[in-house]
Amino acid sequence: MSAQAVKSKPKVAFFDFTSCEGCQLNKLNFENELLDILELVDIVEFREAMDDKADAYDIAFIEGSISTPTCIERIHDIRRRSKVLVALGQCAVTGGINAMKNSHPSEWVQETVYGKDKYLFPSIPAQPVSAIVKVDYEVRGCPMSAPEYLHVFKSLVLGRKPEPPDYAVCVECKLKENECVLEKGMFCLGPITRAGCDALCPSNGQYCTGCRGMVSNINEKGAVDMLKKHGFSTEEAIKRMKLFNTNEVDKQISWGRK
Amino acid sequence: MPCYYDLMLYSHCGTKIVKQASNTMWGFLMSKEFNSKLTDLKRYFFNESDVRKFIDFLMTKAEVIAPQTKGEQSFAYNVVKNSSDVALEYPRTMQPLKKYFLPPVETLLTFKMSSNEFSEEVIEAKKQIFFGIHSYEMKGIHLLDYCLGKGKPESNYLKRRANALIIGISYKPDKYHFATSLGIDIEETEGFALFFEKVTEGYLVFVVTDEGAELIKDFSGGKPIDEQVNIEELPQQAKIKYHYNRLPQVFEHVYNSRVWDHFADKCVGCGTCNLLCPTCYCFDVRDEVGLNADDGKRQRFWDGCMLNSFAEVAGGENFRNKLAARMRHRLYRKFSYITKSSGELHCVGCGRCTRYCPADISIVEIINSLIEDYSAQQKKQAV
Repeated sequence: MSAQAVKSKPKVAFFDFTSCEGCQLNKLNFENELLDILELVDIVEFREAMDDKADAYDIAFIEGSISTPTCIERIHDIRRRSKVLVALGQCAVTGGINAMKNSHPSEWVQETVYGKDKYLFPSIPAQPVSAIVKVDYEVRGCPMSAPEYLHVFKSLVLGRKPEPPDYAVCVECKLKENECVLEKGMFCLGPITRAGCDALCPSNGQYCTGCRGMVSNINEKGAVDMLKKHGFSTEEAIKRMKLFNTNEVDKQISWGRK
Repeated sequence: MPCYYDLMLYSHCGTKIVKQASNTMWGFLMSKEFNSKLTDLKRYFFNESDVRKFIDFLMTKAEVIAPQTKGEQSFAYNVVKNSSDVALEYPRTMQPLKKYFLPPVETLLTFKMSSNEFSEEVIEAKKQIFFGIHSYEMKGIHLLDYCLGKGKPESNYLKRRANALIIGISYKPDKYHFATSLGIDIEETEGFALFFEKVTEGYLVFVVTDEGAELIKDFSGGKPIDEQVNIEELPQQAKIKYHYNRLPQVFEHVYNSRVWDHFADKCVGCGTCNLLCPTCYCFDVRDEVGLNADDGKRQRFWDGCMLNSFAEVAGGENFRNKLAARMRHRLYRKFSYITKSSGELHCVGCGRCTRYCPADISIVEIINSLIEDYSAQQKKQAV
């Protein structure tokens, strides 16, 4: 790298909202790449790894969903101070697993978790970051896909637009010539789930749980009918799709239900 | 016509041929063989152990690639490590043979951004022998040769293709094959060096090219024979209602058919049908830079027109954002658009798109529904 490029290293910050912080930890596991990453950028805020704080950021990575009134204030504040904002991991992109609570009455959820102290912990339905502020780019997956994160990261450092895949996991399975998991009698959301994970689960004898959200412009009725053909009822199919995608499933139309 | 050498039996001493059919039947069957593409070819008899020995022999000549079992119930072409692993009877592999000439992921060039330099990948000109290939698969390769050799030739594909020696084998059609409906006989030998035909106790090996003759000459096993052989037609289960030469005409009239919407309702747009198609060759090219933000490589990946992002352009406009339009495009690419320049149908009836579709959409059903639609239109006009 030229000396000039080093001088203007972008300032990068990481923030966590409602999440298990697994995606953030995942980044510290890039043992082979970590030093190269630090050559390219200045990490100015990263609670999981350091104490420093900064006022403004070139790139802010946001992990976790928005699920409390304070989250809303905080995300607005971060957005104001960031040039580029990237949603990191499925909680930030779609609400992820957290959004499963949105299917239940909010009172009931709070009471189940906090009991009589529920009024001390105000909570709202779990939302993706993009429901509150503008999100420039996203890295999907639960946990986030490491190669996709590196792709987005490198693209932003080089000033390019990241190009995450928007096709089904089936594509990656077919490129690898994996035997179809649905055919083995397992449940699989691969035909409607976004690729980018290199078909990790089906390649290792597991089925796709849809952790990367659905491909865009999806045929909802076809998706449910497909799962029905493989022996899953409409309700079961929708329930399974909701595991990581409650917000996406709920905003779509009937999914073949009456 | 599809045929299957089933009635001839070999005695255990292996030299005398016992004809099982009656004289009248023999005459009938003889006339069939006369029409067959194998009639004039020199032939040998191999029992199964001869076949395995022959594969071992081929492995001394070059890298041998043949169908082998993969997973619980699938088959895939793979480099042969042990001749006993080769599947001699298999319905179809998952990925078509094109994976060796047009790989699913291929690095085209590597580049360095700081010095603005690049170097193209060198394609190894190594000899490869492909053993146990079905006739529809060979046809698929011929169609790719046409598509990728025309205009500005696809040099990577052609370089790999030039070093391929292909040996064919007969197959028993299952409920997904419809190659014979498209005029591709099981015994179509064009493109093969040798052709293995399953008979009751082994294989008849037909010598198709001089290269094949050379191989057989060098191999010590097998017995030359010169008798004519009996032929039995194997029934095909999946059938297109019209003769294949009428299909381009049908496609002239069904562009606005409701059939597309009907089948698109079931489709989830996963792209399996494209990716496993032996005649699909569309690809996407992506650049990826290393972590030093300087060195990078340009790779190409198989792509498919059934995928939503396929016809998407800068600014987010999508020219085929409906599944019905994408499905129509896929079939028109097989039966109309390229057909107009090549004069051939670009579907080979391997049945992969139907067999592997997670939504159980059958291409034969689509074509037959289109034929019904077309014939209804014709009847209306006749009144």
